[in-house]
Amino acid sequence: MKKSKALAALTQAALVLPGLATAAEIQTDYLFSHYQERDIRGSNLGGGSAERYEIQSHLFRVVSPYRDNTVGLNLTYESMSGASPWFIQPGADGKPMQVMSGASIREERVDIEGSLSRALLGGVAAVSLGYSTEDDYQAINGGVEFEIEQLETPITWSGGIGFSHDTLEPVQKTGITRIDEDNKNSVTLYGGAAIIIDAATVAQISVGYQHHDGFLTDPYKQAWFTNLANALPESRPDGRQAWTVSGKLRHHLGSPNAAVHVDYRFYRDDWEIESHTLELAWHQVLPQQWRLSPSLRWYSQSQAFFYAPYYNDFRADGFASSDYRLSPYGALSARVDVLKSIGALSLGGGVEYYEASDSYALKNVDVENPGLVEFLNFTVRLSYRF
Amino acid sequence: MKSLLISLLLLGAGLASGCTLQPVQPWQRGVLAQSEMAWDVDPLMATQRRQMQVSKEAASGGPTLGGGGCGCN
Repeated sequence: MKKSKALAALTQAALVLPGLATAAEIQTDYLFSHYQERDIRGSNLGGGSAERYEIQSHLFRVVSPYRDNTVGLNLTYESMSGASPWFIQPGADGKPMQVMSGASIREERVDIEGSLSRALLGGVAAVSLGYSTEDDYQAINGGVEFEIEQLETPITWSGGIGFSHDTLEPVQKTGITRIDEDNKNSVTLYGGAAIIIDAATVAQISVGYQHHDGFLTDPYKQAWFTNLANALPESRPDGRQAWTVSGKLRHHLGSPNAAVHVDYRFYRDDWEIESHTLELAWHQVLPQQWRLSPSLRWYSQSQAFFYAPYYNDFRADGFASSDYRLSPYGALSARVDVLKSIGALSLGGGVEYYEASDSYALKNVDVENPGLVEFLNFTVRLSYRF
Repeated sequence: MKSLLISLLLLGAGLASGCTLQPVQPWQRGVLAQSEMAWDVDPLMATQRRQMQVSKEAASGGPTLGGGGCGCN
């Protein structure tokens, strides 16, 4: 009976969401990552620096039991530098050419988040509060999440509601029109069910909703108008609603001692962007506490209704954006992670290669955005349990 | 919107089938509790990757609330 209770507790721990993890011991985590975008191709560059973004991140996390609760503290420090896509100009033959900012962008971001979770009404509930600050961007975010396991059924219900209040104060540059300061607010909701299918398989299905309002435009980007032969600050709607449907499957294979992960997400918003994301991962457990995890991710999105690489004339609604993130494209990424445990210490790391292209999109793309990104990301991991 | 409706129908069908499954007893759940079976095998790495994806792609969200801040370019 004692063994059954211990296993039930372990299983519950495996099913809970990251924010709801309950801890029986103090766990400390550190992650370092080096993110490097490939320089923009010369054939796509219409001006500015070809050198794109580089980000170095340090993430620290401490989770500890405290009385009947589990408290967590996350701290992130990031330093970023490089050039960023500014606007797109038609080349001599009408081909879109990316004009970049100068390579002088250099900024830092600090993010701190605290969480508290505890067993409540037969489930687990958690609250979190965070603050993120950059030179030109501040955000306060928080949320409440819960998870309830119905012992008489194989289903665990989960849900959450979160908010974020962001303030933008763009760095000003002589001769360029930018807002002084503005805000945006976001509310996120999700609900889902995890189902134990058999002793080696578990699945989760969930739905999500996001509501954003306020200044949703990128204050640093511009759009080119051929009727003016000039670029103007981009302009996006001041509201956005999005819906997601997600599915996750975890299946354990006894003979190779590995777990197969399949994740899918469908996304749609009222900017008419529709997206599909499919991720497959293989987590191979190896002798002497090694684990090797290769994975592949495919992503595809359609364009926002007001997006164009450049504009021949003004739209009637006044919206305009040439941001590659609102363009139609697909992306493939491959990654490998490795982890080695030595007693209470775990060491690991990984590498990921990501490439965005019109050829990976689900539907045919008429004109590829010249600012699509290609990057490498290296990570180093360190964990210790006290 | 049609795709969303189809997805919601699939979600309902999935939940319905879940209700007819034979319960897996707690003592049979040892494999499900192994770390490689977690939704996020490494939550810290998953957080960092989500931040990268959110700053490069139009779509975001799922069964998580995400964090704050921009960090985009």
